[in-house]
Amino acid sequence: MKRLTILVIILAMLSTILASCAKPKETVDLKVWGSQEDQAMLQKMIDEFKTANTDAIYNITLGVVGEGDAKARFLEDPAAAADVFQFANDQILDLVAAGALYEVTRNKNAIVSANMSSAIEAATVNDKLYAYPSTADNGYFLYYDKSVFSEEDVKSLDKMLEVAAAKNKKVFMDVSNGWYIASFFLGAGGTLTIKDGKQVTDFNNEKGVMAGEAIKAFTAHAAFLTGDDAVLTGGSGDTIAAGVSGTWNAEAISAKLGSNYAATKLPTFNLGGTQTQMSSFAGFKLVGVNSQTKSPVAAMTLAEWLTNEKNQITRFETRQMGPANIKAAESDAVKANIALAALAMQNQYAVSQKEVLGSYWGPAEAFGTEMEAKNYTKTVKEMLDEMVSQIQQ
Amino acid sequence: MKSSRARSIAANSAIYVILSVMGILWLIPIAWLVLISFRAEPGAWTPYILPQSYTLDNYTRLFTDTQLFNYPRWFMNTLIVAIFTCLISTVMVLMTSYTLSRLRFKSRKGLLNLGLILGMFPGFMSMIAIYYILKAMGLSQSLLALIMVYSGASGLGYFIAKGFFDTIPKALDEAAIVDGANQNTIFWQIILPLSKPIVIYTVLTSFMAPWVDFIFVSVIMKDNYNNYTIALGLYQMLTRENIYRYFTQFCAGAVLIAIPITILFVIMQKYYVSGVTGGAVKG
Amino acid sequence: MIELEYIDYVTLSPLRRLFYRLFQGIRHLPRRTADLAQRTGGRIRKRTVAFGRAAKSYGIIFRQGDVKTRLSYLVMGAGSFLRGQVAKGLIFLFLQAAFVVYMVTFGVGQLALLPTLGIATKKEIWNEKLQIYEYVQGDNSMLILLFSVVTIFIVFAFLGVYLANIRLAYRNQQAAGRGEHLPGIVRDIRNLFDKNLHVTFLSLPSLGIVMFTILPLIFMILIAFTNYDKSHQPPGNLFTWVGLENFRNIFWSNPTQSRTFVGIFQWTLVWAFFATFSNYILGMILALMINKKGIRFKKFWRTVFIVTIAVPQFVSLLLMSRMLADQGAMNVFLGYLGIGPVPFLTTALFARITVIVINIWVGIPYTMLITSGILMNIPADLYESARIDGAGVVKTFTHITLPYMIFVTTPYLITQFVGNINNFNVIYLLTGGGPLSLDYYQGGKTDLLVTWLYKLTVNNQDYNLASAIGIIIFLITASLSLLVYNLSGSSRKEESFQ
Repeated sequence: MKRLTILVIILAMLSTILASCAKPKETVDLKVWGSQEDQAMLQKMIDEFKTANTDAIYNITLGVVGEGDAKARFLEDPAAAADVFQFANDQILDLVAAGALYEVTRNKNAIVSANMSSAIEAATVNDKLYAYPSTADNGYFLYYDKSVFSEEDVKSLDKMLEVAAAKNKKVFMDVSNGWYIASFFLGAGGTLTIKDGKQVTDFNNEKGVMAGEAIKAFTAHAAFLTGDDAVLTGGSGDTIAAGVSGTWNAEAISAKLGSNYAATKLPTFNLGGTQTQMSSFAGFKLVGVNSQTKSPVAAMTLAEWLTNEKNQITRFETRQMGPANIKAAESDAVKANIALAALAMQNQYAVSQKEVLGSYWGPAEAFGTEMEAKNYTKTVKEMLDEMVSQIQQ
Repeated sequence: MKSSRARSIAANSAIYVILSVMGILWLIPIAWLVLISFRAEPGAWTPYILPQSYTLDNYTRLFTDTQLFNYPRWFMNTLIVAIFTCLISTVMVLMTSYTLSRLRFKSRKGLLNLGLILGMFPGFMSMIAIYYILKAMGLSQSLLALIMVYSGASGLGYFIAKGFFDTIPKALDEAAIVDGANQNTIFWQIILPLSKPIVIYTVLTSFMAPWVDFIFVSVIMKDNYNNYTIALGLYQMLTRENIYRYFTQFCAGAVLIAIPITILFVIMQKYYVSGVTGGAVKG
Repeated sequence: MIELEYIDYVTLSPLRRLFYRLFQGIRHLPRRTADLAQRTGGRIRKRTVAFGRAAKSYGIIFRQGDVKTRLSYLVMGAGSFLRGQVAKGLIFLFLQAAFVVYMVTFGVGQLALLPTLGIATKKEIWNEKLQIYEYVQGDNSMLILLFSVVTIFIVFAFLGVYLANIRLAYRNQQAAGRGEHLPGIVRDIRNLFDKNLHVTFLSLPSLGIVMFTILPLIFMILIAFTNYDKSHQPPGNLFTWVGLENFRNIFWSNPTQSRTFVGIFQWTLVWAFFATFSNYILGMILALMINKKGIRFKKFWRTVFIVTIAVPQFVSLLLMSRMLADQGAMNVFLGYLGIGPVPFLTTALFARITVIVINIWVGIPYTMLITSGILMNIPADLYESARIDGAGVVKTFTHITLPYMIFVTTPYLITQFVGNINNFNVIYLLTGGGPLSLDYYQGGKTDLLVTWLYKLTVNNQDYNLASAIGIIIFLITASLSLLVYNLSGSSRKEESFQ
């Protein structure tokens, strides 16, 4: 026993001597999560980060967890989760509630001024900044076929339906989906807020009921078509002449439509007799730092690096992701991108998705489903009352 | 005599018709899967049924374009996990069911009832707990962890095999004991050789689990992309961003999994049938 | 025919006997339940007495024990080791040492936090130099709960080993007193393969079941008595015990939730019934058709149906859900025939029929595989005598095949039924529980209780609510299947076919 103790002491002394002699740089281990499609691009950014930061030896590993799964995978085991990870902005409330995110304090002013205010707002909870905006493209807008619609036609939903019906074409929108259907209610001035941890909404007030009636008229129209993304991409240019979706379908739709490919903001709709602009949810992708990270400063430096102006441009160039960085968004290349230009146009009417809780999606989808199935046993007002009471539970 | 033969021919032809119709109905979705796997146009949906042009690209890309989706590696992972899972669970299931069926000991009845109800709690709710237990054992994110998850509690699946063992006459054991065999040799040398159908059933079902689960494996593996199994990998092809480009490849991947499993089933079926025809000996 | 004389009973056909038995079972249910309750009460009383006696016996052993036996109370294995059973003694000693080390380094700390589930929350300290907050991580309620459960299991297991050690020491003392030779470890091992084979065969499976089923199960049950929801999520926040609050919420305070629970529960039972019996009967008929004498290409026919098993379920189900969607291939095809789109998955009734039909597609090949094995085990002389009596195909099926099969496979039917109650894959992948309806709280018309639960946890992180509902499902299914199993022939007359 004694001999063992002595041995340990000698070994410990030896190692201190060795350490003081060689004086190697500090080694920092970091793990980054990103989606599978982003891996090569992230690896390039990380390599550049290493060359730019030589103060320590950075040992950075990449793990595959996409923005959509980030919250679920993270909360299952925060200790094993990445130090720096990308996530969609609708997850931020849950992540903050679980104490998962490191508050952003270093260079806060520079980050706030470099990015769009809407993106910063999406990354802020209770006046504290919790993440670094990386893209501003998680929203939706209108794709259309130029050979069917003129630029004038796509300004109003009624006009579009009329033209499409005449040409035996369809206007596509996934109404049985809380994310898309909200554009009617939000356009009518409806709000979603949080009070005492519960969702509060006024989607069943007078304006809301008018919006509900507009949805009813839309889904009952002969030119209306619903379905998932696959139907939109598969049918574009064939039976579908226009559809509401986001940038992730840009490649597929432009390939389908060829020279007839066009995109713009969402149209106006008939709200109790007045043409009203459809609203939408504005979505962002954010980069967060794990609050349990062992090297917070290094992790923050890396997170900032991954979302700086240059790398937001890289994201656009390699993956056509719309930047949240103001300067990057104003570059000519970004402005020339048809889908991103349409998204930017729609963003003026968009509403932040931050104050939307999990309880919203189910009832909203249920309302859309009943509309698509043309279940008119109850009045729109009754259905919206039921929807709101369920959302607010 | 003649009329009964005519009747039997009529009955058999009726059966052939029913079997053919059912067979076609059962194969339609599979045929569709194979068809899409050769479709040249991308996307998960087309407004027509038959592909407009055909290609082998979906298959070759599975093996050449491995940077995003490392199909060959995941295939090997799944194969390894499936083989070990199947070995361990088969042994566990047979031991448990044999014990509960043919050995008599105190608390047997209690164990039977306990086993019956244990399987009734929704399994996915315990995933997180299992993850942390494995992590405490230092096994998180490894293939070994996955093998343990799939085979660990397999003893609970004893019901079917127990029902089978219940039907083998007890007289066989008694005769063997007279011949001086102990309980262990009775199991291995007398009962097991008679139980081929149930052994094969157990082997097949436990071999399947790793090929079809995509929920447990995502909780266990998390970001460890290299240790994904095929099911999770294929499931990843269907995300919003990937589905347009990878749907046909997804179908090709599914067809490639189905081939070895089908072959396995067909080979096993030979033993299965021979076990069945040997049934006369069992009496 | 409320109660038949035995002579009338035996003249009934086997199928009617079965119905008669079922009917009688249900008729006598109240009395049987009362009996059961009484017996359980008696059993508990007996157990308590037995427990008291056992506890006392360890006192008696201590008084009557010699030094070696008494030493075993303190140093495990002493009673074996000092009497020449070296290996056994060392094993006991090793277990004791391992237990002490575990408890001191880890176990006690966890158990101490169990009553509160942690007290320290995350703290932040501003670091001016680095311009960041430094976080001090607090307690993680979830891990405290989980590892406390683990520790309690280990304590009980150790207690069992400890008492076994004392009993063995005393037995050794008595045997030595009689001048007998003490059995060595070799004989014990030999016994494990003969007289005690059940111990050998069950040890590994039991260990697996305890670790991967029972432990997580108890953990999840305990969650139902806490406030682990979206505003009390570890690691940032603590959760704590709230007693029966969650159950109160489900049953009283929330009418929409109660209504949804009842509606979904009804559909779950309807679904489980149809899914189980349609697969069972049709699968068996398929097996009989393929195995019928005179049918050729048996192997080919089996292969045709086996191919559908070989394609992973999530692939075939996702594909089917695309095929049957409103714009899916099936409706494109029907469009060619001039039939308007059929809402296979989007209206309640159609969707419910569709999932049952698709489940037949998924399930029949499995039933065919399992039943052909057992069908071949039906004694040939039964068929022979039926043939001599001039029984036709249908009569043979209902009088011989079906009763025999139901007898042998009752456990299979029960597991299938319960499996269907919890059939996550088919519903989740095919319809996702849809079509959603405003009649239900966050649920759809094909949602089963499990899929509804899953969506509740994923969308709302209401783990406490989910596990409370999980417990309710568990109680219902468990009592249902225990009842059926113990009333059915295959449990009562387990031996009659052997």
